[in-house]
Amino acid sequence: MSEVPGVFLAGIGLACALGDDMPSALAALGRGGVSPMPVEVADGVRWPVYKLAAQDGDWMQRLRAGVRKVVAQTGDWGPRTAPLFVASSSLDIGFMERAPQDQRLGGGLQDFADAVAGAIDWQGPVFTVSTACTSALNALLAAADMVRAGEPQALVIGIEPDNRFTVAGFGAMQLLAPESARPFGAGRKGLVLGEAVAALRLGSKPARWQLMGGSNVVDGRNPSGTEAGAVRAMCHEALSRSGLRPGDIDLVKVQAAGSPVNDAIEVEALRQVFAPLPPLVSLKSAIGHTLGAAGAAELALLVGCVEGGVWPQVGYPIDESLGISLCTQPPRALKHVLLNVVGFGGGHASLVLKDCEA
Amino acid sequence: MNVPVIHGWRTLAHFVAQPLPEDWRDDLARRIGRRPRRVGVWTELAMYGARCCIEAAGESALPAGARVRVASRRGAWGATHAGLAQLDAGLPMPFTFMQSQPALMLAEVGRCLDWQGDASFMLCRDPQRLPAIAALGAAPAGLLLGLVEEEHNGEPPRTEWWRLTPA
Repeated sequence: MSEVPGVFLAGIGLACALGDDMPSALAALGRGGVSPMPVEVADGVRWPVYKLAAQDGDWMQRLRAGVRKVVAQTGDWGPRTAPLFVASSSLDIGFMERAPQDQRLGGGLQDFADAVAGAIDWQGPVFTVSTACTSALNALLAAADMVRAGEPQALVIGIEPDNRFTVAGFGAMQLLAPESARPFGAGRKGLVLGEAVAALRLGSKPARWQLMGGSNVVDGRNPSGTEAGAVRAMCHEALSRSGLRPGDIDLVKVQAAGSPVNDAIEVEALRQVFAPLPPLVSLKSAIGHTLGAAGAAELALLVGCVEGGVWPQVGYPIDESLGISLCTQPPRALKHVLLNVVGFGGGHASLVLKDCEA
Repeated sequence: MNVPVIHGWRTLAHFVAQPLPEDWRDDLARRIGRRPRRVGVWTELAMYGARCCIEAAGESALPAGARVRVASRRGAWGATHAGLAQLDAGLPMPFTFMQSQPALMLAEVGRCLDWQGDASFMLCRDPQRLPAIAALGAAPAGLLLGLVEEEHNGEPPRTEWWRLTPA
C-alpha cells in the first residue's frame, strides 16, 4: 500500500497592515506594530481598520498589483498549472460598491477569483472558497486534500481587499470596537477588521512546516458567535486527524477577535480540551481580523514570527477573569501548533502545523 | 449542473426543484417545524432543497461525518444588491448584510438539518471539479452537494441537491 504524501509549506507570501512583505511586517511588529486607520462607512460613521499600505491605481489595479507582489514571495512557480484556491469573505464587493448601481453584480461570484488568477497568469483550475472568517483555512484543507491525492503543488491565496460594505455590515451588527483590537483584553469591545493578502504554497516535497490534520465544524445555533461545543469538536477532530493528543500541542494560535462574549467562550472551551492550557498567541491586535484571509494571513505571520525571532507583544491588560495569558515570546519547545479560526456564520476551523526541524 | 460524476460513488438521492412548487415556503416550514426568520430567499432555497434531498434519500438526518458543499453562480444576489443600496444611502442594515453572506446560508442549512459538521461554499468554472474535490478525504458518510440560485433577470430560482456516498 502506498503511503499518503505529506503536505508541506513550500512558500509564504504576506501583505498586511504591518507591511507588504514578511521582512517589513516583522520589522514593524518588532517596533511595536501599527495602528488601525479610520474608515468612513457613512456620514460621520467611522470604524478603525488595519489597512494595507495605500497604492496607486483603481480598485482592480490595486488588487492585481497586490496579488502579484504577494505570490512572487512564494518563489518561482514555472508553469502555473497547479490548483489555485482563492479564499475571501468580501470578494469583489469593494469593486461593486464603486460601480454605478445598474452595473453592479452583473457577473458571478467566481469573477473575483478569476481576476486574481488573471493577475498572476494562472493556468490551473481556480476555486473560490467563501465561508466568512474560515475561508482560508477551508481552502487550505481542500488544497491539502488535493496534494495528498497526488497534486504536486497547490496555491492558496487568502485575500480581504479594501471595501466599506463589510466594515459597514459588521458595524451595523454592533460587532466592531471603536478604537483598537484587544483580544482577551480587559474592557474589550469587539473586532477591528483588517485587510490582507496572504499566499501559501503547498507541496508534497518535505519542508520545515508540515500541515497535519485539520477540521471544519459549522454549527448554526449561533450564527454570529462562538459555540463551545463546536470549538471542542474542531480541536478534537484536528488533533485526531493529526494522530496527536492535546498534550502534544505546544502553542495555540487562538481566534480571540476581541469580542466580550466570544473570547470568553473560546477560553472556556479550550480549557475543556487542554489541561493545562498550552501557551496561547493572538495576532489580531497586530493585523486585525482579516476575515476570509485570516487563516492564511495569521498562519503566514505566525510562521514568519517563529522563523524570524520576532513575537507579537501584548500592549494592553488581559482580562483577569479569563485566567489566561498570551505568551510574549515563542515557547522554548515548539513542534506542534494548533491554529484556530472561528467565524461569522457558525464556522469553526482548526489546523495543526508541525515544525519538522524542532 | 449535470449529475456529478465521482468514480466509486453512488447517488442516494437527487432532488431538483425547478420550477418550485407554489407553496414551497409552507412546505419548508412543515418539514422543519418552523418558519425561517431573518434569512433571505437564497438561504431559504438552500434549506428547502437540502431538507428535501435528505428526505428523498430516506435519511432522517444527515450523518455527522458527512460533508456539505454548496455552489452558486450569484449567491445571495438580492440581499447583496440591497445591501449595497443601503450603503449608498448611509443606512447599512444588519440583517441585509447577514443575508448576503454565504456562511449564513451554511449555518441555516446545518440548523435545519439539526446537523453540525464540515460545510463549505465553493465555486469553480468547471462544475465537475467541485464534487471531485469534495470527495477527496471525505468520510464514508459521504456528501450532500447543493446548487442554489435565486431568480435573476428572468431566470427562475433553482435548488438542486445530491446525496452521495462511496459505493
